[in-house]
Amino acid sequence: MRAGSAFLAGVGSAAIVAIGWQAGVGTLVSALPQSQAAASGTSSSAGTSNAATPADASSQTATTAPAPSGPADGTYDGSVVNTRFGTVQVQAVISGGQITDVIAVKLTDADRKSVQISQQVAPMLRSEVLTAQSAKVANISGGTYTTQGYLKSLQSALDAAGFTG
Amino acid sequence: MAIHSFETMGTMVSIRIADAELGEHTTDDNAIAVLNEIEHEFARLNEKYSLYRDDSEISAVARGDLSLADASEELREEYSRALEWREKTDGAFTPHRPDGVIDLSGIIKAVAIDSAAKQLTDAGFVNFSVNVGGDLTTSGNQAADESGWITGIVDPQDRGTVIAAVRLNAEFPAMATSGSVERGEHIWLRPETTKEFIQATVIAQDIITADVLATAIISGGQTSLDQITQNFDVAVMTVAPDGTLQANARFQELVAR
Repeated sequence: MRAGSAFLAGVGSAAIVAIGWQAGVGTLVSALPQSQAAASGTSSSAGTSNAATPADASSQTATTAPAPSGPADGTYDGSVVNTRFGTVQVQAVISGGQITDVIAVKLTDADRKSVQISQQVAPMLRSEVLTAQSAKVANISGGTYTTQGYLKSLQSALDAAGFTG
Repeated sequence: MAIHSFETMGTMVSIRIADAELGEHTTDDNAIAVLNEIEHEFARLNEKYSLYRDDSEISAVARGDLSLADASEELREEYSRALEWREKTDGAFTPHRPDGVIDLSGIIKAVAIDSAAKQLTDAGFVNFSVNVGGDLTTSGNQAADESGWITGIVDPQDRGTVIAAVRLNAEFPAMATSGSVERGEHIWLRPETTKEFIQATVIAQDIITADVLATAIISGGQTSLDQITQNFDVAVMTVAPDGTLQANARFQELVAR
């Protein structure tokens, strides 16, 4: 019973997040023909920003400030670690209280594939990768840089709507 | 279809179980139990590997308070796994930020997805998807009359649009999509790399492979794309800044028709 109530609370909060995105589901579906149309026309220019955000810079600063009791500069051996991929040992180079490099000193590479098993990529038109079946999407995948917040909301909206395609 | 969503690791987890129903009158205790276990495992991994938490083990390593040799066996194994992937991608994927801090958040998210799928399988479910911020793995079918799981890929230049839709199946059940570096969580461009792709999608047998390789393609550009399609059995689609697409034949085979 306890587990059940915790679970239901989670569903409730997701549903609240989703309220603002009900319209978004409709937009997604109705936009599909538009993207196919775009494929035959000229590509739009890249309007997205590539710049690292100030937030990124500040978070780095915050997490990498040298600790007062940090390690002395030098190269440190890591322990030998057995993994399912083989045996691994690394050396960490410490400078100014921070790790400045990590060198793999022992890597068994039994898993490395050398055979050519896949194919080279080739240019494609959008009409080749988008079909009427797109209306049945149950999940959404996207890059994190601008789509994350969108995906979060959209997926929760699809979920709240019980959208199964 | 039971659908459960929760937030963790700065993103949204969405789990769909086609074999179960969760409603007022049809409560599936087995599904509720495993979903709670999954939430706890995500929370545990987040507490341990989040650089946004001062009390995480990875933050202690980043500060130099904890040496790698003294870190937990699990952390060292995950770090070793990440280093293996650095080798396999000729350095395009790396667990190190430019400032030297070890950041395992990318690979840990994939590990958590993988773990959730195993938990669902162990609980007896066959038809499900686990989607974390747009990276997902699937099992079985999304509906009795719809084989596999149809998954849309968002257009990075028009996020209200799906750019492609593929059908994930038993051979290629896992998909990850990475974008350019703005969010800065775990992808870092090599200095010599211009931004050749604004988005890369990789579909693979497992989510860790898919996630790492999608990251590597964004980081390493065309060179990494060519290396990866030569050496790994994966389906790939990329989006260039001018909106043009590239995909390999594997990807075309998976397009939902």
